[in-house]
Amino acid sequence: MLVYLTKTGCDFEGLVHEHQAMVFSIAWHYLHDRALAEEVAQEVFLSLHRNLGRIESDAHAAAWIRKVAVQRAIDEGRKRLRRPQVTLEDIPEPASGSSASDPMLGSLLRRLVASLPETPRMIVVLRYQEDLDPAEIAEMLQMPVATVKSHLQRSMALLREKLARRSSGAGER
Amino acid sequence: MDWLEEELRRALAREDPPAGFERRVRQAVAQRRFPARQWLAAAAALILAVGAGTGYREYRGRVAKEQVKLAMRLAAASANRIQTHVRGVLQ
Amino acid sequence: MKRFIILICCAAAPLVMSGQQAKLNLDQLQAKASEHLDLNLNATTLQFAAKFLDADDPEEAQIKKMVSGLEGIWVRHFVFKASNSWTQADLEAIRAQLRGPEWTKIVGVKSEDEDETDEVYMRTVGNKMAGVAILAASGKELTVVQISGPIDLDALATLGGHMGVPKFKLPAQKPK
Repeated sequence: MLVYLTKTGCDFEGLVHEHQAMVFSIAWHYLHDRALAEEVAQEVFLSLHRNLGRIESDAHAAAWIRKVAVQRAIDEGRKRLRRPQVTLEDIPEPASGSSASDPMLGSLLRRLVASLPETPRMIVVLRYQEDLDPAEIAEMLQMPVATVKSHLQRSMALLREKLARRSSGAGER
Repeated sequence: MDWLEEELRRALAREDPPAGFERRVRQAVAQRRFPARQWLAAAAALILAVGAGTGYREYRGRVAKEQVKLAMRLAAASANRIQTHVRGVLQ
Repeated sequence: MKRFIILICCAAAPLVMSGQQAKLNLDQLQAKASEHLDLNLNATTLQFAAKFLDADDPEEAQIKKMVSGLEGIWVRHFVFKASNSWTQADLEAIRAQLRGPEWTKIVGVKSEDEDETDEVYMRTVGNKMAGVAILAASGKELTVVQISGPIDLDALATLGGHMGVPKFKLPAQKPK
């Protein structure tokens, strides 16, 4: 097979390859449904393909893709009009204390995050998956920085409370 | 950073989508660019409509033009899809 | 099963295109397809149509330039109700018709689970490009394109503007 390819202009395939994990993970952590997350991710890249002419640089592409991923995940979540309801009884006990490598703890946290209300949920995902600071999150979600910080504080408090209640044996059977 | 923040970072670390995702995106792009049913219907409608109010030679010419355009678009879509496919394989 | 067929043929379309390039036999695919498009355009039709292509329209101008030296274009497009309707055996029946001394396979890509197969063949006569055959099969659709005459594949793939797609660069073909 003799085929030579040269890169020219905006590389759609490259952008898919580079950003697929980001897009899929935003949708997955927000929606907590892998099949749906893949659908959303695919729509994001179809949208990218339609709008390639507007992309000015690699950095612009990354920001654009992330923004569209966030919007699509939120839209999809609203369509479903529900979020996973997690009670303490549903939560298996972590294997041991607060082990950093406990996969059960990771799974538990993902489910707890997915059970947060819409806006705080996306804020937590953007903060801890994408490592965006509150100002960047505020710009992306078009809300005041103070509101973002307030949501973050309340969400962390809620997560701590749920975890504390679990470890204190409140959910023991 | 406290313990919970560290755990959240781990729990929410990026993951790759299921295997074959890039290929499915390529297929979706190709199908969007080349919506076969729409082209078939448009081709039929155009060829029927183009005859209204024109001389016979003009009619034949416009029909031929639409046939050529359709053929080239189909060929272009196929060639373009193959380029995209090859690119995906070589990455 | 309801079948939707568009058969658009030039009057008295020859079985053999100009330049001795024979049309591929794809009857076995037609029998399985729910929709089928067959475009058969010889040199006369291409030249006639070119007169009506608008030089001020970017796409039509590009097409006019591309078809000016061609002897024929033949496109068959099949749509199937279900994926896996076309098989490797069907593709092999097509490939067998492209194994003559004038044909060279220049691109061959297959996806992991084989529901996407793309191949490009080039025909050379003497030391000159005399045509291409494109086989593009994916999911529920299969397209076979035959072009007789010199064609710029690069220009073809970017017809109408396709941003973000890399360009082909074909190596020079040495005479056999």
